[in-house]
Amino acid sequence: MGSLATIRGLHKAYVMGDETVHALDGVDLNFDRGEYIAILGPSGSGKSTLMHILGFMDTPTKGSILFEGEEVSNLSPDRRAWYRSNRVGFVFQSFNLLPRLSVLENVALPLLYREDYTEDAREEAAKIALERVGMSHRLTHRPTQLSGGERQRVAIARAIVARPAIVFADEPTGNLDVKNVDRILDLLGSLLAEGITVVVVTHDLSVAAKAKRVISMRAGKVQEDRLQ
Amino acid sequence: MKLLIRIRAAVINGLRELQANKVRSLLSMSGIILGVASLVAMVTVVQGMVGNFRQFVDAMGGIEKITVDKQALPKEQEHLAELSEGLTMRDVEQIKATIPIVRYVSPEARVGYEKIVWEGREVNTMINGVTPDWLPVAKRWVNPSEGRFISDLDILHKTDVCVLGSSIVAELFPPNVDPLGKVIRVKGKRFIIIGLLNNIEAQGMEIRSASGKGRGSGGMWRWRNSGVYIPISTAMAKFNGNDRLSGLGLQVATGDDLNYAVEQVERTLLQTHNGLRDFTLTTNEQTLEDFRKTEVAFKLSLGGVAGISLFVGGIGIMNVMLASINERIREIGVRKAVGARGSDLFLQFLSEAAVISVLGGLIGLVVSMGIVSIMNYVLMQAVPTGVVSRFDWIIMLQGLSFSVVVGLIAGVYPAIRAASLDPIEALRHE
Repeated sequence: MGSLATIRGLHKAYVMGDETVHALDGVDLNFDRGEYIAILGPSGSGKSTLMHILGFMDTPTKGSILFEGEEVSNLSPDRRAWYRSNRVGFVFQSFNLLPRLSVLENVALPLLYREDYTEDAREEAAKIALERVGMSHRLTHRPTQLSGGERQRVAIARAIVARPAIVFADEPTGNLDVKNVDRILDLLGSLLAEGITVVVVTHDLSVAAKAKRVISMRAGKVQEDRLQ
Repeated sequence: MKLLIRIRAAVINGLRELQANKVRSLLSMSGIILGVASLVAMVTVVQGMVGNFRQFVDAMGGIEKITVDKQALPKEQEHLAELSEGLTMRDVEQIKATIPIVRYVSPEARVGYEKIVWEGREVNTMINGVTPDWLPVAKRWVNPSEGRFISDLDILHKTDVCVLGSSIVAELFPPNVDPLGKVIRVKGKRFIIIGLLNNIEAQGMEIRSASGKGRGSGGMWRWRNSGVYIPISTAMAKFNGNDRLSGLGLQVATGDDLNYAVEQVERTLLQTHNGLRDFTLTTNEQTLEDFRKTEVAFKLSLGGVAGISLFVGGIGIMNVMLASINERIREIGVRKAVGARGSDLFLQFLSEAAVISVLGGLIGLVVSMGIVSIMNYVLMQAVPTGVVSRFDWIIMLQGLSFSVVVGLIAGVYPAIRAASLDPIEALRHE
């Protein structure tokens, strides 16, 4: 499959009052294309920080990140925005769909910030993504008219609409009932077939059990990295 | 081109936001609405007043007019009274001969307020002896279909002809009678009507007493439409019995030469009057100058009030935008997470402010039309020839662009705040 991202000596420090918090303290990892990875750890372990940095939402204090062969650890905000809209997708615990937009508009939202998509192309791509998650019967509904499981499927459609290389799912099942948890995790797992790397960030062992590879974090360091 | 597409998308989004929060949007617009409405209404009304006054000054002979009137001698010159024969035709000849920048000299010999009679009908009016120059100095004319004015030949031969003002015509003759060629009597003497003066109606004003075309007029212009004009030589010979003038009207070639002309006329008259100051010169300039000052004061104070309300309107927009951003921090986080740049969000929120201010400005224009209409109505009730202001699309365009500028300025700070929010913090926001 080949390497998607390689990180070396990643550090992230925050200054809180007169204390310096080391959220990441020397992390070395490699992600391959089409991998299904779970990052496991209690809160404060640094798993969210790792996701934010790998997802181009944040920059590391120290260390290097090779993403698709390019050094990306110190990009400008606009350049990071480019990566977010072209190469990365996010799925959140609380769905984060915009309540005023329809399902179709929510899914098309990432393409709004891309200059290579016309209005028609955006709509077309959003429809394909919604079909992929089995939600094409709810195009004009508002998020509030959907169940939790349906909302998360729409959120997944939004994450994959721009054909990203990697999708981050931050506690994707935290707000779902048992029946929907498996459906969402299966849906995420099915993205691998398209060469998308899926990273599920969670503190739930049963969620992590679905992944092929589990990275356990504690106190800003990788504690365990195993295939299962 | 790409920027245009982005702006278009941002404006469409702004309109949707307005639609989603109708009451809040209307409230945030209220400041701009009032600001634009008061600005446009005030400027329109002041403009109307200015136009009205310009007309008035014009009716008084314009800025180029110098009026010479008789005046009692100052105390120290009283004992020299017999040295001067007062204003006479000699002054007219002298001014014409020595001051070329004076274009027209119109001497007047007033006969007085007299009764004129035609077939048993009678009217009291001022009888004036004048020369052909009276027309240009008074800025009047005789329409070709309504005869002619007094000519040099009439002066030379002291003919018994007269020209009537339109209100006299309306009072003396029934509507179906053509006054031209009719003979009227003034103090028992017979005069043939050879012409009718143009009827003065204030432009832009409805004069409710105006009836029929060209006949009669009311309000502040009424006195200008009355009067009977006869050759000055006839007035002197048949009525006054002397060649004294009651006054002089002069017209200078251009208003720029006015002060120089006043000096020259004064010097010439002092010469012909043997140094006696039994005359006085007045111009419309001082009146106009006073009015200009009033106009500036009006514009500044009313413009200031309107400016303040627009400023307050701007603060209102900023306030609502900041509140709206606070409510939508999560939305901003989501948009950034899916790839929006800071500039995309800046554009989005600036467009919302712009949409609010443009809509507010447009509503303000409609409101201003209402205000001006009401003010016109009230003024018309108070003064028959009251100020009537007309809408000027340039003023409206200025008001609108002013509101847009205010809206954009007010939107910049909230937009910068939205653009600079950290996506991670924003997504965590509850």
